[in-house]
Amino acid sequence: MRKHFSRSAFTEGVRDMLPAVVGMFPFGIVCGVGAISAGASPLAALAMSLIMFSGAAQIIAAQLIAAGAPFAVIVLSCFVVSLRFLMYSAALAPYLRPLDHRWRNLIAFLLTDQAFAAAIHKFRAADDLKQSASYFLGGGAVLWLMWQLATLAGILLGSVIPPAWQLEFVVPLCFLSLLAPLVRDRPTLVVIIAAAVSAIALDSMPMRLSMICAGLLGIGAGVIADRIGVGRD
Amino acid sequence: MTKSQLIWLVIFAVGAVNYAARLSFIAFFARREMPPLLAEALKHVPAAMLTAIVVPAVVFAAPGKLDIGFANPKLIAAVAAGIVAWRGRNPLLTIGIGMVVLWLVQYVVG
Repeated sequence: MRKHFSRSAFTEGVRDMLPAVVGMFPFGIVCGVGAISAGASPLAALAMSLIMFSGAAQIIAAQLIAAGAPFAVIVLSCFVVSLRFLMYSAALAPYLRPLDHRWRNLIAFLLTDQAFAAAIHKFRAADDLKQSASYFLGGGAVLWLMWQLATLAGILLGSVIPPAWQLEFVVPLCFLSLLAPLVRDRPTLVVIIAAAVSAIALDSMPMRLSMICAGLLGIGAGVIADRIGVGRD
Repeated sequence: MTKSQLIWLVIFAVGAVNYAARLSFIAFFARREMPPLLAEALKHVPAAMLTAIVVPAVVFAAPGKLDIGFANPKLIAAVAAGIVAWRGRNPLLTIGIGMVVLWLVQYVVG
């Protein structure tokens, strides 16, 4: 493990993730509050964050448990919102090959929307895997830790942040700040337009399938744009 | 099965499913070459998924209620933040401007 660890890159990963933590914290509180109101014990509510570690899946699980849904429906619904992890896993895979399995297992455990989006450009840009892997680990670790603290705050204190502040809007703003620099070439613009239109058009799909479908359609449009040479002189 | 048992079962089952999804291709392609078409497609994952997450969070005023007008504070805030992000590329400034615009528009509209 040590061979690929850089303390300075780890610290940089932590620091760059702090704005995202501000937006994620209210979500963690909602997950804690939601689990308790669905009938989970404080320990089980915390275990959801410790073990599931996915806000979208935790909120859906809590809603379905509260509604009395059967076990298979709950697990299937959570699996559908977690399908995007398959894509993140595949997108990271080529960069992680030189790492040993402990590194790969740890990175997989900490793989979230935020950690992936923040670190993928480092993996692409840097030929120094030690830097990018440590950067990912720093961002992933601070997210995991703060996610537990946020859930705990929700369990113990309830909804402490006034909803009118809309702090959770920081999350889409963070993603926006990562998305905007990607708009460098025409195929990427095609990807964004296709994914945006699909996300709106497919919104009524059940089990939040629209997210993964919009993502896949965006990727498909991008591949076609690459093939037919959109934006090439 | 009691409710408590169901909850613990869900926690471990979903935890296992999530970890399997996260590790899946990282483990699969650890020792195999990736097909070129797949590698080409995966290049677009960040732009596609970020868009698929951000757009619904911005254009829907309530679940299923599309609002792409000037009365939607989230849309105005996201456009302002998007311009800042695209020009300045400073995440903190992007988030700061986005939140201030959101609060201002909300105050004016609401």
